[in-house]
Amino acid sequence: MSVKLNVVLTALLVACALSVVNARYQARHLLIELERLQTHAHQLEIDWAQLQLDQSTLGKNERIEQIANAELAMSRLTPARTQYLTEGAK
Amino acid sequence: MTRSAQKSGARVAASKGVAFSKSPVLAVRLPDWRSRLVLFVLFAAFAALAVRAVWLQGVSNQFLQKQGKSRYERTLELPATRGRILDRNGAVLASSLPVRAVWAIPEDVLESPPEKIRALAGLLEMPEAELRKKLDSDRSFVYLKRQVEMPIVDQILKLKIDGIDTRKEYKRFYPQGEVMTHLVGFTNVEDKGQEGMELQHQKSLMGVPGSRRVIKDRLGHIAEDLGMFREPHQGRDLTLSVDSKLQYIAFTSIKNAVEKFNAKAGAAVVLDVHTGEVLALANFPTYNPNDRSKLTGEQLRNRVITDTFEPGSTIKPITVALGLETGRITPDTVFDNNPGWMTVTGKRIRDTHNYGVQTVSGIIQKSSNMGAAKIAQLIPQQEMWEMYTKVGYGQAPRYGFPGAAAGRVRPWKSWRPIEYANMAFGHGLSVSLLQMARSYMIFARNGDIIPLSFLKVNEEPVGQQVISPKTAAQVRTMLESVVGPGGTASRAQVAGYRVGGKTGTAEKIVDGRYSRTINIGYFAGIAPMSKPRFIIAVMIDEPRGIYRTGGSVAAPTAADLFSNALRAANVPPDSSITDIIIPEVPLEESM
Repeated sequence: MSVKLNVVLTALLVACALSVVNARYQARHLLIELERLQTHAHQLEIDWAQLQLDQSTLGKNERIEQIANAELAMSRLTPARTQYLTEGAK
Repeated sequence: MTRSAQKSGARVAASKGVAFSKSPVLAVRLPDWRSRLVLFVLFAAFAALAVRAVWLQGVSNQFLQKQGKSRYERTLELPATRGRILDRNGAVLASSLPVRAVWAIPEDVLESPPEKIRALAGLLEMPEAELRKKLDSDRSFVYLKRQVEMPIVDQILKLKIDGIDTRKEYKRFYPQGEVMTHLVGFTNVEDKGQEGMELQHQKSLMGVPGSRRVIKDRLGHIAEDLGMFREPHQGRDLTLSVDSKLQYIAFTSIKNAVEKFNAKAGAAVVLDVHTGEVLALANFPTYNPNDRSKLTGEQLRNRVITDTFEPGSTIKPITVALGLETGRITPDTVFDNNPGWMTVTGKRIRDTHNYGVQTVSGIIQKSSNMGAAKIAQLIPQQEMWEMYTKVGYGQAPRYGFPGAAAGRVRPWKSWRPIEYANMAFGHGLSVSLLQMARSYMIFARNGDIIPLSFLKVNEEPVGQQVISPKTAAQVRTMLESVVGPGGTASRAQVAGYRVGGKTGTAEKIVDGRYSRTINIGYFAGIAPMSKPRFIIAVMIDEPRGIYRTGGSVAAPTAADLFSNALRAANVPPDSSITDIIIPEVPLEESM
């Protein structure tokens, strides 16, 4: 009777020990994965900041005006050649 | 002892005659206490060890635990990124990106092959001789270059030079460059604000770096997260009131004007009438905040906020508004300005022309010094001083900008009559361009004045009433007449929009006297007059061409600025006039 009990308890103990090992292993892996993703998120944030900076640099009014004038042959709007439509006016 | 015993025992110790066990020395009976003492000492030693063990394990265990932790735990710094600065529409004006500082252990680096050092010098954009000079040092740590951008760092690391390493740091980028720099300011190499809004909001932009504790394995991977030691707080983003588009328009107008009129400098400010926000603040000459290697004080000067000057004729509407408000004059009150000059306590006040008999409206339109002085004579000095104080002249500004000037208005009791008369047309007191622009709020709004803001305002501030709406409307009509064919600011007319404003010309003081030839020209104006939206103040410092007065240099600059700003802001035109009539010989204001 007591031998049987001992065998069962030993088997249980070994099973528990192995499951602890497994849990630790999983935890370690998930942590590494988390770290990797956090680093990735951080890198994406930096890229986002860089892109916004580039957008602001490329969207500089000076550059837009220069390109509009020189490459697209556009010119400034003046009231003299603008037809204004006023709602409700006759 | 027998003979045989002697023989057989020849090899034993007792050969001399006595057997070991029968040695008389051993026969001496030792006292009992000695063995007990030994036993006790041994037991006591074990007991001491046990107590010590219990002490270290159970009672006083912090010290060793701390020591243990410091051997397996690592503290990781979590840097806080400096907040970005954005314009009112969310465009980035300043942003920090990670870069690297490249440092070296000189001894190790000098052992590497010369072609590698040459390549390194090339990547760091410095002559090889300079690099070698930096490496020729006894120290074991030398910065080679700070704030190196990442692509270059990657190339440097690819060279695999021994003793070269990098340290993470941040660099501030200013995409709008010289256009916006007087407002945004800049940071130094340590990421600390030095000028402008970067300095003003250093604390909230900066953030607080944090740290976390981890256990690392042999390969440097994080094996276990022990949680935050200190939570990092990222720097907060700052949204300014400035509008990039209007700022660019203001900057271009000022830059063109300074070049066209051969002036020393120029400045302009655009305010939102409803919210008191500073929409644009331009200065020329300027500098590039991304490359400050050749920075001079002249470029750094913020002429809108930190410089003060005599406001000249631009102050006349304030004088007139007080007269109207107190009922001492009406727009149609007549003043006799013959013969074009008058004396106050022996000192002469003159107009450029003899304007003869003029109404109050005419005095503003023609900018008559004599007329302004005569109006001032009807008003007690204390009331005038209170008026100046209410519109903010001589008051410490509270806009939240470092180095903002208060200007100077002396206490009214010390004004002599001639000084008071001069003040009516803007001599003997000083204001900043921003203060001047703000004081025009009382005309643009219905007589109240609101605080200015460099940050985006979400709800309209409550104004403080200075003059009645009726007076404000009367002065607005006068200001509009100034920007007409018969006024001093005829060049400030804008096609399609009704504009009102006032010119001013101040003579600079050279060798203690007012100079006739070295001037500052101003224009402060409001548009569109039917429903005021912007207040613009323009200042052109020392124009050296044929045009020198406010009406001829500042007014056309303001017109240029107004027309583009109104168009950019999609303000519907309130005037059908598209042809501008500027008289061949425009009227010049008195100085």
